[in-house]
Amino acid sequence: MASASSIAASIASKTKTKKKHFVAQKVKLFRASDPLLSVLMWGVNHSINELSHIQIPIMLMPDDFKAYSKIKVDNHLFNKENMPSHFKFKEYCPLVFRNLRERFGIDDQEFSNSLTRSAPLNSDAQGRSGARFHTSYDKRYVIKTISSEDVAEMHNILKKYHQFIVECHGNTLLPQFLGMYRLTVDGDETYMIVTRNVFSHRLSVYKKYDLKGSTVAREASDKEKSTLPEDVPPRPKSGNVQQRLQTLRIATRFYCAMKHVRDAKELPTYKDNDFINDGQKIYIDGENKKMFLEKLRKDVEFLAQLKLMDYSLLVGIHDVERAEQEEVDSEDNEAEDDGESDGGGVGTPPDSPSNTLDSTKPLSPGEFDPSIDVYAIKSNDSAPRKEVYFMAIIDILQHYDAKKKAAHAAKTVKHGAGAEISTVNPEQYSKRFYDFITTILS
Amino acid sequence: MSANCTSAAAVSASKTKTKKKHFIGQKVKLFRASEPILSVLMWGVNHTVNELSNVPVPVMLMPDDFKAYSKIKVDNHLFNKENLPSRFKFKEYCPMVFRNLRERFGIDDQDYQNSLTRSAPLNSDSQGRFGNRFLCSYDHRFVIKTISSEDIAEMHSILKKYHQFIVECHGNTLLPQFLGMYRLTVDGVETYMVVTRNVFSHRLTVHRKYDLKGSTVSREASDKEKAKELPTFKDNDFLNEGQKLLIGDDNKKYFLEKLKRDVEFLATLKIMDYSLLVGIHDVERAEQEEMDVEGAGEEEEYENDGMGGGVLTGSFGTPPDSPGNPLNCGGFFGPGEFDPSVDVYAIKSRDGAVKKEVYFMAIIDILTHYDAKKKAAHAAKTVKHGAGAEISTVNPEQYSKRFYEFMSNILS
Repeated sequence: MASASSIAASIASKTKTKKKHFVAQKVKLFRASDPLLSVLMWGVNHSINELSHIQIPIMLMPDDFKAYSKIKVDNHLFNKENMPSHFKFKEYCPLVFRNLRERFGIDDQEFSNSLTRSAPLNSDAQGRSGARFHTSYDKRYVIKTISSEDVAEMHNILKKYHQFIVECHGNTLLPQFLGMYRLTVDGDETYMIVTRNVFSHRLSVYKKYDLKGSTVAREASDKEKSTLPEDVPPRPKSGNVQQRLQTLRIATRFYCAMKHVRDAKELPTYKDNDFINDGQKIYIDGENKKMFLEKLRKDVEFLAQLKLMDYSLLVGIHDVERAEQEEVDSEDNEAEDDGESDGGGVGTPPDSPSNTLDSTKPLSPGEFDPSIDVYAIKSNDSAPRKEVYFMAIIDILQHYDAKKKAAHAAKTVKHGAGAEISTVNPEQYSKRFYDFITTILS
Repeated sequence: MSANCTSAAAVSASKTKTKKKHFIGQKVKLFRASEPILSVLMWGVNHTVNELSNVPVPVMLMPDDFKAYSKIKVDNHLFNKENLPSRFKFKEYCPMVFRNLRERFGIDDQDYQNSLTRSAPLNSDSQGRFGNRFLCSYDHRFVIKTISSEDIAEMHSILKKYHQFIVECHGNTLLPQFLGMYRLTVDGVETYMVVTRNVFSHRLTVHRKYDLKGSTVSREASDKEKAKELPTFKDNDFLNEGQKLLIGDDNKKYFLEKLKRDVEFLATLKIMDYSLLVGIHDVERAEQEEMDVEGAGEEEEYENDGMGGGVLTGSFGTPPDSPGNPLNCGGFFGPGEFDPSVDVYAIKSRDGAVKKEVYFMAIIDILTHYDAKKKAAHAAKTVKHGAGAEISTVNPEQYSKRFYEFMSNILS
């Protein structure tokens, strides 16, 4: 189905003419490739509209943390073009998340626009247990499909999380939770949570790490590292077809290189051991490092208090020179460029489709708006390459008690056969985590 | 819920001394009203017009559009309890059809929405048939009538032909302008409502009101009715008073052309028992009233129904720049002046008439079908329209002729 997202993506990659890109202005069709996404768009649009008619309270009440809004739509021979005829949309704690958005400096109208003007894009990034990800079309927000247990855990921590955000004035490396919903389409319930994208909405990330500070089996699998497109047959164990496959691999890489296809499949998630083995370094200056570690310390102490663990530091690296080269290449190949939309940014031109906030003047290579790309840190002057780093904590909903229960119930810990067995408790986890991150920043 | 926008609007509307802009909730619509059902109505109209703004306008209506509906069920928990009930349902019948009708009647969806949502609709103590409830949008442009599920069924039966008729006459008709039809469910109770354009002016007061059918059997206002602020007089009263509607030859010709087309249409659909609603605005009397209002100043107390009593009247001594859509906030209207694109039924009295008046005349109550009537008449010895009062021994064809004759005689 020709979706607005692919159109927007192909427009986004055409950088030659600086004409304003068409973003559906007044009429929002909620057109998407998947009815679930249409319902998400409709639901966020509806929720923000509803909230605009509710006076902002001076402060949140205990009831607000237990509240929800539920709406059930049943149309008959009406509006069937883009929406399913029957669906339900539930928003958890609407006033709390509105308050959180405000504290994170996000305007409700812009939040709505990001999620509704064009369909969110699929992302190949896999979270824990294969959770599904989407990003808003303008790449400012990440939408993660979560479990009902995660929703329960969110409710448990929400008050304290909110209090923490109040106290640190929104200045944290913790995930910025912006909205939590339950969508029901065709009788199936899907839970989703929206967070601010750790990576930039503009600057591409060419290398990604998921760091926990543990060293047990912390490296990207071959499947993760593979840059082959999905439809290539898996490599067999026997050696006598290796040469043929090697040729195939080379041919495919060449093909991909020519097409400049940069989707998330080409951005594997590396882990702790990879980081160390690669000799990867994060070159940030003293001031930035100090501020970063202060935030990190406060954050992990908070998580330990709540007995949360198994979270990661997500690290993304933007290589300025490499990005400049990619942009030149993509301009040369413009005619053949389909510009797929996955991933953190396909050499996005400075005036990419987005909210009016940053469409005023183009940003030069490696530059960013810190009020949007809040996690961005520039490399210091003595760094070998000019880089921008994006670093924040993700996956914080794993509670220690829930883990222990699962560990006792099933001989193997549910996070993979023996791979991630932590014999540590949240306190220890947080210390080990913090120490590891400290060392990699030197 | 006591404190409500209706009294606030009434008070601010009547203070004519300072010409400051009256505050009407601009961006934030709280849907605050004295009753949950009104809040739900406001919320529902707001929602459905917003939904339609995201549905492209089709080139033409399809048969399915006449069978369609949109339904929404809200279930909130500890959220938004201030102004709305936590649980309610809102159903809109044939959304695309009514959107098209609004367009053909020259009504912008945003304006329609604003009229019904910026401030709560006002109650009216004027009673329709069988004590149906009437409401009026706060700006008096639209009338909201509570109807029965049978009326809903009848509307569905005639909707295609009604729409076709509107297309053919280019919206130029005396028939009710149906603009939206809804079902609201609050506390498990279902209420059906239809919105029509107000026959009377949103600005000019109506001082005398008649409901005419062209029949003479028991067609006069009861004593109880006469005690009201703005009683609904009927055929006999009209004739006995020697009332005249002096609109001049051109207006009369034009009016009767429309009337003829309309009643012929109603006859083909076998509809009858409709009325011609007539409202008379006395220009001199209105000028006097306005001066009285200004003279009285702060000591004047305005009760809610000081807004003119019946829903079908204009507002009481409303200043020319009354709270309403920007449409009439531009120019200053002189006494007896009106904007014909807003007050579409208004006709001035002819030059040289003894009294300077403005008449508002249109057809109302068109949902009684002959077959349904006969069935009811046979089932219950008395016709359901009151013990013997309105027994029509005529059929729709005869009714329409008699109706037309009567109306053409009272105009000159």
